Amino acid sequence: MAPSRGTVVCVHGNPTWGYLWKNVLTTLSSQWRVIAVDQTGMGYSERGRPRRLGERIDDLVNFCRQEVSGNLVLAAHDWGGAVAVGAMGQLDVDALALSNTAVSKPEHVAVPPLIAFSRSLSSVVCQLTPGFVWGAAAMTNRQHRAALRAPYRGSRRRRAVRDFVADIPVRSSDPSFMSLVGVATVFDTSRVPTVLLWGGRDLVFHHRFLSDLRRRRPEARVERLENAAHLAPLDDAWAVRFEEWLNSDNSTSEASSPGASLLQPVIDRAGDESSVYVGPDGTVSWRELALRSARAAGALRSAKIRPGDRVAVLTPPSADLLVTAVAIWRCGAIPVVADASGGLRQLRRLLRASGCCAVVGTRRTLAANYVGRLTKAPVRFSMTQLDRGVPSNEEIASTSGSDVVAIVHTSGATGPAKAVRYTHDALVAQRSAVQGLVQLGDHEAFTTSFAAFVLLAPVLGVSCVRPDIDIDKPSTLGFDELLATTTLASVRAAWLSPAAAERLVATAQGRKLPVDRVLLAGAPISAELANAVSSVVSGEVLAPYGMTECLPITDGTLPTVVGPRGGTSTGRVLPGVQLRIAALLDDRDLTASGEWGEIWVAAPWMSDGYDGRDLSLAGSFVRVDGVRFHRTGDVGYLDGGLLFHLGRRAHVIATAHGAVASVEVEGPVAAALGRRVAAVAVGPIGAQLICVVVEGASLGVADVAMTDAVRHASARSIAAVVTSPLPVDHRHQSKIDRTRLSRSVSDFLAGR
Amino acid sequence: MTGATSLLGRHVAQQLLARGDEVTCFQRHPSAVESAEVLGDIRDADQVTAVMKGHDAVIHLAALVAPQPRYDQAYAVNVTGTINVALAARSAGRMVYVSSPSVAFAHAPAVGVGALPPTYTGRDVYTRTKALAEIAALRSGVGATVVVRPHLVWGPGDTQLLGRVAERARAGRLVLPDGGRALVDTTYVSDAAASLVSALDRTGDDSTTWGQAYVVTGGEPRPLGELIRLFLAAMDINSSPRSWPAPLVKLLGGIVDRAWWGSEPPITSFAAQQLSMAHWFDQGETRRALRWAPSMGLEGGLAQLRSATRNGSATT
Repeated sequence: MAPSRGTVVCVHGNPTWGYLWKNVLTTLSSQWRVIAVDQTGMGYSERGRPRRLGERIDDLVNFCRQEVSGNLVLAAHDWGGAVAVGAMGQLDVDALALSNTAVSKPEHVAVPPLIAFSRSLSSVVCQLTPGFVWGAAAMTNRQHRAALRAPYRGSRRRRAVRDFVADIPVRSSDPSFMSLVGVATVFDTSRVPTVLLWGGRDLVFHHRFLSDLRRRRPEARVERLENAAHLAPLDDAWAVRFEEWLNSDNSTSEASSPGASLLQPVIDRAGDESSVYVGPDGTVSWRELALRSARAAGALRSAKIRPGDRVAVLTPPSADLLVTAVAIWRCGAIPVVADASGGLRQLRRLLRASGCCAVVGTRRTLAANYVGRLTKAPVRFSMTQLDRGVPSNEEIASTSGSDVVAIVHTSGATGPAKAVRYTHDALVAQRSAVQGLVQLGDHEAFTTSFAAFVLLAPVLGVSCVRPDIDIDKPSTLGFDELLATTTLASVRAAWLSPAAAERLVATAQGRKLPVDRVLLAGAPISAELANAVSSVVSGEVLAPYGMTECLPITDGTLPTVVGPRGGTSTGRVLPGVQLRIAALLDDRDLTASGEWGEIWVAAPWMSDGYDGRDLSLAGSFVRVDGVRFHRTGDVGYLDGGLLFHLGRRAHVIATAHGAVASVEVEGPVAAALGRRVAAVAVGPIGAQLICVVVEGASLGVADVAMTDAVRHASARSIAAVVTSPLPVDHRHQSKIDRTRLSRSVSDFLAGR
Repeated sequence: MTGATSLLGRHVAQQLLARGDEVTCFQRHPSAVESAEVLGDIRDADQVTAVMKGHDAVIHLAALVAPQPRYDQAYAVNVTGTINVALAARSAGRMVYVSSPSVAFAHAPAVGVGALPPTYTGRDVYTRTKALAEIAALRSGVGATVVVRPHLVWGPGDTQLLGRVAERARAGRLVLPDGGRALVDTTYVSDAAASLVSALDRTGDDSTTWGQAYVVTGGEPRPLGELIRLFLAAMDINSSPRSWPAPLVKLLGGIVDRAWWGSEPPITSFAAQQLSMAHWFDQGETRRALRWAPSMGLEGGLAQLRSATRNGSATT
């Protein structure tokens, strides 16, 4: 049968050749026309003058334009990936498969040692001796080695191997650096369905390079071949997986369309005996989750819970919480995930604003609901009642598009507590965005100090390990508790609040936490804290920016970078996020200017709005040129592609000489004193004075030495230096309530 | 101008002379200023009218600032004297009246406020008469009158503020309520003088300032205790003030108000309040309207005070 579906062009790297795609040719050729090119000067192609990355891209573009009509799929390996992705910018490509490659050198990742070594001695290693070719060939099965080495016998035939290594841009001054930047841009902005078929045992392009690609394109499909090394396309499984992917919908549908149902992982893994949740209260496997949630959904349905109904969830983070939430979703109803940390009065206000028609909880929280009259819901369920339900024959209710599917309470750490609504599309989009950050495989797990994040596990299709602490007291989570979680499951990521991170550092005692990445969230992360956490974690440390209304916003890389205007780095803005820096006093858009202002965000995974009619929240969402933005109430600025956070809008000090962000003042002072400080405003807006508060036991004027040290450290005019206990939020125990502090310090300095 | 014997008056006269104005000083005792001088008493309307002849403007600084004067004496100088000057100024056409921010004191902290109405009717005789005098100056005087309220003026040669602080500190009798935590703004004398010269110019060229009162300060509030420490250090006085609880100091002030018969009481309830409450002011409108800004400031002023201390002229 003649190949009908289109052409697959395969691009090898260095120092391999078309032979690399042997298995792809044999596997795909029944349906596809497969072309494995030899790059100019390599394999059995003609030798010529050295070619740079840009020229190689042009070569491939010209080749494809001449040879290919109809559907075009690109497959590429090693530095062939950069060539193929670069060519993709000028070609109409239908799908892309990458294997163990890079489109840029990720920050914080060294040039692969083998390449660094070869670069420094490029003539000797790559051309004069067959060392580089032999080294590369050695990374596969014995049967392929001779074939891989065959075109490179004799140093003259290895000329291009050396030139290729020498052309790999490492510094911005290297000639092909800009070409590689262009390649990365093409990759980041491309909508072409992409699969990353990755050899897991590669020492050259290791998991950090995979992480970089996933961060750039969170929606890309990832297939790990755990036993394959660098030359993964020669692995038997590679071509098979490639074909499966080409035959699946993923490769043909628009990759970013969130067609997938929220509960897809739960449905897909209903027979999976591995655990989705491990905690002090027990373990739940995917199978148990499917079973119990079906029973609970039956109980809810028999109580006439219908799609769109709101169900208050008063269950603490536990296995029961997962079952409850999934059951509510199965009915098409909306879980209202309560946060009691702000007190019963606040909880009652939020729950009543949502108009719940049923309550689910433990015996204790149901009693609180009754005594505290938290809801007027007529139907109440304990977990025992839910477990006694009978699975109904009804299908899982389908929610889609703009249906509200979840309501999550914020803690009220910054401003009033809110009931944040999420639509189906937003949660599905958030799934990809969060997956891009945590980068967990199906059988990997995360642990967290955030109660509500437990719910992410069934949505993401990964496992969650709840540490054995009171989850409402994140500061009790230390190194030992976290280490314990890693022994319970394959924990690769930890999502921590700053308070938990501080305790992690304090209790590490020279040990390193064996996880791939620690994500710090909940409050701005200082460079000092990020550095300290880095030193006690074996993987990378990210501090992505986001809030309940829109999470995540940035990728959290480079948390240790110090910006020109101070503040904390939150990393690069994620693809899909629209960011706007709005002037504080008027409508000007400062996004491009580098000036600071209020941060406005828009993203597919942004909340739909708030429940209730709290007038103080009016204006939290605004529409500009047809785009709905969330006004974060945070201030910050962009510099060099990184978003820097300068604290809360409410904490800006309006002096007679202009607005000053409190963080701008605090940074240098805290660094000089080595203590926690807060800069607060005293006086009426427009004439406010800057006062520096140094953390201390009681409210008082600072002594002479401290006063002088603070004034010396700050470039701003400081009216007064006082000591005071710093009030922090009850949830993260790290956000200093500068508004409250400002009131107490103002009264103190006024003599009231 | 009246009141050239005071520290502020001397600086104003010197700045006016330095820029080439013709100045006549009018006061009871000879001043150290090298200008035309007429000795007399502002309580005498005829003398004031006579000296004003041939002048374009008057800066009225003279006042009775004794700590606890008799009310009738204070009234005669501060209120009657100001009415005399204001009436006489009709021939000149322009007047700057020098008042005090305390005329708006409302027994509450002043935190970043502007120039509030002169409503003080409390027990402090000086402040009460100055409040009446400010009203009188604006009612009786010419249209082109600008009121300036310089706040806590200090500088080398200051016998009022710095002199008393130094004297009490040396004797170990300097007490601050609550350690002096209240934010207080001050004005270095040459900055205050420059603001009066600017105000004088505005009486000639900016009618939006006429009839207005402006609080003038250095715009660098500090906790009172820190200010005192800075002053004492600049004057080479190695003594730190004692801290008493503010309620106690206020109580003592109240007792002294009723029971002290001497001329200089150690504390009054007015002083206790002033020392325990913030008083600093929004300078935005003042600086815009007067087209003035301090040039010396706290740092510059302290440097001057330090060099004066080395010459032995800090408080004399």
